[in-house]
Amino acid sequence: MNMDQGKTSRHSIKKVKRLKKWLTYLVMSLLAIFFMFPIVFMLMSSIKNNEYQVVTDMSSLRAFLPVGELGFQNYKDVFTSQHFGHVMFNSVFIMITTVVIGLFVNSMIAYALARLRFKGKTFLLSSIISLIIIPFESVAIPLLVMVNHLPWFGGETSWLDSYHVQIIPFIADAFSIFLFYQFFIDIPKDLEEAALIDGASHFGIYWKIVLPLSKPIFATVAILQALNSWNRFMWPLMVTRGTDVRPLTVGIQSYFGQDPRLWGDLMAFASLITIPVLIVFLLFQKWFVRSVASTGIKG
Amino acid sequence: MKKNKWYMLISLFAVISMVMVSCGGGADTAQAEAPAAEDAAVEEPAAEEPAAADAAAEPVTVDVWFHSGKGEEREVLDAQVTAFNEMQSDVQINAILLPEGSYNDQVNAAALSGDLPCLLDFDGPFLYNYAWAGYMRPLDDLVPADVKADFLPSIIAQGTYGGKLYSLGTFDSGLAIWGNKAYLDEAGVRIPTSIDDAWTMEEFTDALQKLNALDQVDYAIDFKLNYGPDDEWNTYGFAPIIQSFGGDLIDRTDYQSADGVLNGPESVAALEWFQSLFTDGYANPSPAGDDDFYGSKVAALSWVGHWMYGPHTEGLGDDAVLIPMPILGDKAVTGMGSWNWGITSTCENPEAAYTFLSYLIEPDEILHMTNANGAVPARKSAIAKSELFGEGGKLNIFVQQLENGVAVERPTTPAYPVITSAFRTAIWNIIAGADVQTELDKAVVTIDQDIQDNNGYPLPE
Amino acid sequence: MIGQKQIQPTIPKYRRKESLTAWLFSTPAIILLTLFLLVPFVWAIWLSFTNQRLIPNPNLPTEFVGLRNYIRIFQDDTFKRGLLNNFYFIAVVVPIQTSLALVLAMLINQQLKGMNIFRTIYFGPVVTAMTVVSIVWTLLYNPGEGLINAFLQAISFGKLGPYNWLMDTKLVFPAIMLLSIWQGVGFQMVIYLAGLQEIPHSLYEAAQVDGANSWQQFKNITLPQLRNTTIFVVLSTTIMAFKLFDQVQVMTNGGPQNASMTTMVYVVEMGWGQLKVGYASAISIVFFIIVLFVSLIQRYLTREKGSAA
Repeated sequence: MNMDQGKTSRHSIKKVKRLKKWLTYLVMSLLAIFFMFPIVFMLMSSIKNNEYQVVTDMSSLRAFLPVGELGFQNYKDVFTSQHFGHVMFNSVFIMITTVVIGLFVNSMIAYALARLRFKGKTFLLSSIISLIIIPFESVAIPLLVMVNHLPWFGGETSWLDSYHVQIIPFIADAFSIFLFYQFFIDIPKDLEEAALIDGASHFGIYWKIVLPLSKPIFATVAILQALNSWNRFMWPLMVTRGTDVRPLTVGIQSYFGQDPRLWGDLMAFASLITIPVLIVFLLFQKWFVRSVASTGIKG
Repeated sequence: MKKNKWYMLISLFAVISMVMVSCGGGADTAQAEAPAAEDAAVEEPAAEEPAAADAAAEPVTVDVWFHSGKGEEREVLDAQVTAFNEMQSDVQINAILLPEGSYNDQVNAAALSGDLPCLLDFDGPFLYNYAWAGYMRPLDDLVPADVKADFLPSIIAQGTYGGKLYSLGTFDSGLAIWGNKAYLDEAGVRIPTSIDDAWTMEEFTDALQKLNALDQVDYAIDFKLNYGPDDEWNTYGFAPIIQSFGGDLIDRTDYQSADGVLNGPESVAALEWFQSLFTDGYANPSPAGDDDFYGSKVAALSWVGHWMYGPHTEGLGDDAVLIPMPILGDKAVTGMGSWNWGITSTCENPEAAYTFLSYLIEPDEILHMTNANGAVPARKSAIAKSELFGEGGKLNIFVQQLENGVAVERPTTPAYPVITSAFRTAIWNIIAGADVQTELDKAVVTIDQDIQDNNGYPLPE
Repeated sequence: MIGQKQIQPTIPKYRRKESLTAWLFSTPAIILLTLFLLVPFVWAIWLSFTNQRLIPNPNLPTEFVGLRNYIRIFQDDTFKRGLLNNFYFIAVVVPIQTSLALVLAMLINQQLKGMNIFRTIYFGPVVTAMTVVSIVWTLLYNPGEGLINAFLQAISFGKLGPYNWLMDTKLVFPAIMLLSIWQGVGFQMVIYLAGLQEIPHSLYEAAQVDGANSWQQFKNITLPQLRNTTIFVVLSTTIMAFKLFDQVQVMTNGGPQNASMTTMVYVVEMGWGQLKVGYASAISIVFFIIVLFVSLIQRYLTREKGSAA
């Protein structure tokens, strides 16, 4: 039956295929519009020089259109008044440090849990899993009181207003440990056993065998932790003071408060946070998708 | 290498757990035992020395926190700090600007962790909690009587808690009704020009009806609900309605209960009237944006503060007229209050901090600030010099309201955060159509429970 | 003989070494989790039995109040509503968002030109600041000028709407859900996309030889192959759903009449808005216990076939 159809209407199949292709594009473009409007809104508002116009446009469709007096005044304002470069550096620095150290700390305990035999393992594993669901909001206040009394190497007796107070508490992450654990438990044991017989240490196995095999899960966890760190707001709000170590999420709060607000500047600030992340995604998505593709979460 | 790292981590953990055990204040004992923190010994004195000991020789440094909001406000304060630091050498100001959107939360966090600066500004009534809990230092001995007398009575009322003056603002806020003169003329509505000829309830209702009848007008009055449910605006802007009817947010004789006041017949009547404006189509519960009054011009009146002067004149030109608060019930009532400066009790050099504050409240510096942010100058001598707010100025009505007791300060009690949170919730539910009495009863329960839980917020000393 | 002698002592020694290594590997994470999660959490449990204020007053020290906070929780309708809403949200959003993510992933998994751009666009909302997203959606939901009402009226020839989405107790939470799905689906889509690309092509070829149509291929190959991806997506969406906060706070602050209240919005309102840290802690402890219970059930249900964990 199939064969019959194929012979008689090869031409029409081609036609159907092309139709299907255009239909797909149509659906995808409609969806794209649906997903794009806040970004369009944000970008359009950010390039309107006149604050008054930004506000009046916001209540109509003009918000999505490049109309009126356009320019980069809002971007200039953001750079001159908010220490934007420095605040951006803070966010990036905190994110990278948290993620990189976090990858080691979390994968090592996960390796131990998944591959090594020791007393108390089951208890440790289930404790960590139950830690996943502790909402940060519930520990924030005790944590603040606590970090305020922690010593640091320079002799300080408080961690407030520093980089490390924004990094160290978030290095170990129960959900990341759980993801690593899920992945490690599926790695075949033979390689490891061979290495052990050859006299390799467990650290050697972790470093030379498990790590190279687990790049994908490292990528997944890195992205999850990076997004979390990038968006973290409540904690930096509580522990930072000046602009020295202030991250972007706190910096943007300068635009909220009393009315009328400087929507144009706010949108320029928001664009400067969003667009680089999207470009990174656009450039690295193949690599990202491929790495996630081979993680334990796939199947 | 590897072992070293473990050793360090383990010892760090040991240190940290010791610190936690001795959390009450013995942090320094744990510090001494810390193998990791090498220069632990240097640490203790370093924290206190520079400020106290060398005061005579070197300038005193005063840490100052300020909300960093709109560009102009920040620029003026920056300029004032620089100018102050240059014009004298005894006191040096170290100003830290905290983002306005999260300012209250950051100050709360700092109070909790005990690192409040010497001098800082507070958003209106959020000061009282700090005064009550002993974090603030009264300013009575620092502010000369003649200076105090020059301030608007509203500013002094806002800064006074338990009979002591804890704060001074350099500017105040004004709340009234803005009108579109073209619409008002077309509808034949009288435009009051001073607080003495404010609209009565009857006139106000009549005006709303006539304005609603105009073709260009979708709804007569805009209440700025686009500010959202989580905004202090909801208490600032709408508490005057119940106060005008004779109700209030709390019984102000002793600040012990809201029962019978916030849910009393006057307050209920006030908010039932308010609710009816929405159900009868005089007001829009969901304005499309900020500009219904001045941009798309679908609203004829706008119930809002001084801060909209800029956009209103830009959108309406000379048609933007300021109308005093109407007499809804017994009397006309409006809101007031804005950022105000206080000195903390932990401040080692309150005199130095006051030197800077006294510079900020000089009439010229007040005008420097209010010319930038458009707020009402806090001192009468500054108002007199102001083109907008002075006698005959376009915004003089705000001053009339503030000077003549039309403006009522928000309750001067540490329970204020709970009061505003409960009232805000009630207001939004009422706008959305909920039963007024039920909502206000709920708010009263929340407020009274909080007061009881805190033993009635007993005054310090 | 010699071999036996050597092996006898080395096994326990080896075991001991393995155990030591395991603890060494685990120590950093254990220390950090203990210090920055467990200790504050135990502290929070303690606070939940006190009347701790956010701004402590030295003249009115924090007192132990026994079970007062917990008793109040069980009489607190706002808390109950918030909790119910969290579950309502999970029941609706998790299945819809998961299936939508899969559909999107299958759409963008096609070998067509320009897919990179489409993927990036669909991913856009994930990285756009929630405050900006909330502002735009508030405009979209506007009863007078909003696009959503305009769209509904257009397709229903004026029979539907206009609705006042954010002020209507029945519509407000669905409105928040729609926004949340829109905002979060891009992330799950990428995870599914990865899962799809991992399915061996030979499986589909074999099915085509057997004459299976697209639906049968989807049902018998795609879905089973994506089982663990789905578990991950469901788990992470559930965790996010329990933490629902930002969009609610900006758009409705839980109102009107608590119709859009969530537990986290309430915790923050109690702790930071009303300064009642003791009560806020008690709410989060009760919440933790309930979520723990739910996740145990969920784990039990997703576990049956064993391969996951």
